[in-house]
Amino acid sequence: MSEETINPLGTITISHRAIATIAYQAALLSYGVVGLAPKNLADGIAHALVKDPTLGVDIQYDENLLSINLYIIIEYGTRIKSVAASVADNVRYQVEKAIGLHVSDINIHVRGLRISDTD
Amino acid sequence: MSVDIQPSINPGKHKLYQNLPLDGQDLKTLIEASLIWLKTNQQTVNALNVYPIPDGDTGTNMVLTMQAAFNEITASGERNIGKMAHAIARGALMGARGNSGVILSQLWRGFARALDNLETMDSLTFVRALGEAKITAYKGVVRPVEGTILTVAKDVAQSTETVFKDKKEILDILETAVQAADESVKRTPDLLPVLKSAGVVDAGGKGLFYILEGMLRYAKEMSLETPVTTVQPLSSLVLDNSLEEIEPGQDYEIVVDFRPNQPFDLDNFYANLSAMGTSIQVGEGEGIYRMHIHVADDRLNEPIEYIRSVGTLVKSATENLRVQVEAQAKGTNQKIQLTPVEGGQIAVVAVAPGSGIAGIFASLGAAGIIEGGQTMNPSTEDILRSFEHLPTDKIIILPNNKNIILAAESAVGLTDKRVVVIPSKSIPQGLSAILRMAPEGDLEKVCKEMKRALTEVETGEITTATRSVELNSVQVREGEVIALYNGELVFSSTSVEDACKGLLERANLDNHERITLFYGAGFDKPDVDHLAEQIQAQYAEMEIEVHEGGQPHYQLIISIE
Repeated sequence: MSEETINPLGTITISHRAIATIAYQAALLSYGVVGLAPKNLADGIAHALVKDPTLGVDIQYDENLLSINLYIIIEYGTRIKSVAASVADNVRYQVEKAIGLHVSDINIHVRGLRISDTD
Repeated sequence: MSVDIQPSINPGKHKLYQNLPLDGQDLKTLIEASLIWLKTNQQTVNALNVYPIPDGDTGTNMVLTMQAAFNEITASGERNIGKMAHAIARGALMGARGNSGVILSQLWRGFARALDNLETMDSLTFVRALGEAKITAYKGVVRPVEGTILTVAKDVAQSTETVFKDKKEILDILETAVQAADESVKRTPDLLPVLKSAGVVDAGGKGLFYILEGMLRYAKEMSLETPVTTVQPLSSLVLDNSLEEIEPGQDYEIVVDFRPNQPFDLDNFYANLSAMGTSIQVGEGEGIYRMHIHVADDRLNEPIEYIRSVGTLVKSATENLRVQVEAQAKGTNQKIQLTPVEGGQIAVVAVAPGSGIAGIFASLGAAGIIEGGQTMNPSTEDILRSFEHLPTDKIIILPNNKNIILAAESAVGLTDKRVVVIPSKSIPQGLSAILRMAPEGDLEKVCKEMKRALTEVETGEITTATRSVELNSVQVREGEVIALYNGELVFSSTSVEDACKGLLERANLDNHERITLFYGAGFDKPDVDHLAEQIQAQYAEMEIEVHEGGQPHYQLIISIE
């Protein structure tokens, strides 16, 4: 389960986990995103046991198509649509820049809102 | 701008000068001033992008966000400043576009919260509101990136709080805020390396500066319509002559690069030029100024003589507009023949940056053409207008540029027709997609086919760098020719030919059989033909085609399929 590049010197393998870590960091740097969320209960329990740098990121790679699912928590009071669009842009840019692989799609799942202030 | 600000009758007597508390209506005029000033400087902000290609939309996003905020209050007679501020925040939230727009709307949200239940705003509450704006904006992100609009908001909050200890007048606070924003923007490249390597300041921060400065300029009764600029970055000067007819007094176009003597009085310079001609633009980059003017036959020498009196002339170019327009009239007589559609058929509308490319799209079946491209993004209205009149309700839009996809998508919600946007990011992608079009087909199936076609073509673009930069470990100097492969900078060179060859060496030519060159305005057919021969010699197995694209900014757009 990883992406491979073969060149005359050998093979370069990038694991899903490595890609997920880049996506995770990029998501956290995006304005409006205040956290990532486990995508299901099992993940949530696992996360309670081990701190995971790829929480809330799901990578799928087959037939040269890299697709990324992000499960995020957004700050209450921001425009969710704009935040989701910019996190997708940001993650795409950082992943493509870091591993030079085209990201075919990014799906953003808004799992919750954090309320710091109510107006 | 539909609404004009009436300067108050007694100069210097704005409420801010009398240190009177501001009410809701005062805030409304200040917001309007911010919006106008930001709009005036929109292109300056847009030009602050970190990539060396003509691109950028931060200024536009911030203008749209401020416009939405102002629209919310435009008809409001509210005197209570707390309610007015909340209305502004609501408008900004609803209209927030892009990253900078979202942050801006959070700033307004915090600003409004600090004014909760207040009738008016004095200097103390103003300082608190600026502080609350910063706090709220920072809450929206886990790891704030410094050197952005957030940093500028923070510096504004800190400086105003410090100054408030000594100076209690509301005008002092606003002046401090503007000055702090200005200095903070200048420091952004030290905090954010990507800005430094691109040689620009942060665009969002600069936008926030204009918003604050607009308020101050209004209070000081300074013009909000003419950019102080008149100085824009060189990259944003639009010097293409798309004149259709010449007005009297526009016989010659003169462009002069010069290095002004110090001190240089820009307002005076502008005023003196205005006496000589029209269409005046002045740009600045790294100490060199560029002046553009149209003058009448008998004043041909005046601008150059004048510039020699205020500085050192570096370079000048003169063009006879009459001759040019005559030549143009000959060249563009062929009207583009759009493909007619009937009710029930699928119609495709495409965005095209030049007459040649528009013609190709039309001949391949486009029923509508929207003029636009990299630096001239069409509005949602332009896009709507291109298909609203068509006799069918099945529409496919090809934006052909990543910056236009969003505008195209927002058109979808504004019409009763069934509209699908095929997210083509480049001209070759658009052409590849339109070839799969079947007017009688099922809309969904056709769209699926067209979307698949997007991935089957590789795009190369050759353009001139508008500033020096290092990106993807490619060193680029301003003015060099650069090659972009699928949107990524891959190669730079001093000539179009070398850039094109460098691009092809780096491109994935496996499983592809045809290279098509679309040459832009300013690149001649014989040169392209010569280049095509050289490419053919090197890649014997490929089929090479050459078409006139007529696009601005890009000497070549290359499709590899």
